[in-house]
Amino acid sequence: MKKLIPFRQLALAAAAVFLAHACTVRSASADLHLQAQLVWGTNIDKPDDPKLKEVDSQVKDKLRGVFKWKNYFEVNRQNFTVTAAGPKKVKMSDQCEIEVQSLGNASVELKLYGQGKMVVRKTQKIKAGELLVLAGDDKNDTAWFVVLSLIER
Amino acid sequence: MNHETELKLQAYLDGELSESEATAIREMLARDPQARSVTDALEATRTILLANEPELKVPETREFYWSKIRRQIELGEEQGAVANAGQAAPAWWLRFLAPAGLLAVLIVLIALSLRAREGASPIWAMDDGHEIETPLEETSSFSFRSEAAAMTVVWVDSHRE
Repeated sequence: MKKLIPFRQLALAAAAVFLAHACTVRSASADLHLQAQLVWGTNIDKPDDPKLKEVDSQVKDKLRGVFKWKNYFEVNRQNFTVTAAGPKKVKMSDQCEIEVQSLGNASVELKLYGQGKMVVRKTQKIKAGELLVLAGDDKNDTAWFVVLSLIER
Repeated sequence: MNHETELKLQAYLDGELSESEATAIREMLARDPQARSVTDALEATRTILLANEPELKVPETREFYWSKIRRQIELGEEQGAVANAGQAAPAWWLRFLAPAGLLAVLIVLIALSLRAREGASPIWAMDDGHEIETPLEETSSFSFRSEAAAMTVVWVDSHRE
């Protein structure tokens, strides 16, 4: 007796639809909306530059939980999107620039340039609520921080 | 007295002999005291058994008693059939899952080999793997991960005096 539904062909069609859907979802979610902050860590209570403002409490608490400095001031903040098309360069200061590339699957490659030279390159999976921080010491017992985070939408 | 004669006496007492044979046994009993003694012993044994054999009565009718046994047998057969059916189901699924699993493994292996050929980073490194590179000779770095703060830190040391 001939079967009403050809189960083998149905299974193949379902697998093809599943794979196509998975590829579509993957490409659509490859875009990453990120925020980069250049932060200055110091023990002084008030900086000389009036344009500096304290970083938001969430980032400050996290930095305070790890580092010795009491205060953290935001020097610059940039919101940007990286796509699968290629890396994105973002200028954080006159001497500091970062380059971020999406590697897919929520992974990023973060490069830090100082005075045009690549200082450090880091690949990391980044999730909502996670911080990826590049840091180093600065003059007068202070420190700089580049804080990269995913913007939740 | 031989064994065959004893059996004849037993058959006589049970009424299993023909009339001619019974007459012959009666004549033997009249003239043979040993035969009478054996016959008396057999009769006494039968009387004792008939009078003293315990009679047990089942609390239910004979039909009901056997119907219970029949139901138990039928129930056992049904459970056996269900158990056999349960064992057959995994075999059917295994026949489907075995090739499907093999196909999945093949797809993963092909994907991994293609990525390796293209020089891309392996798939497992994209999940939790991370890399750090500090190309300048005058700098070094180390990374730190705080699970509590959900924060990964790369500290860059520039070796300044």
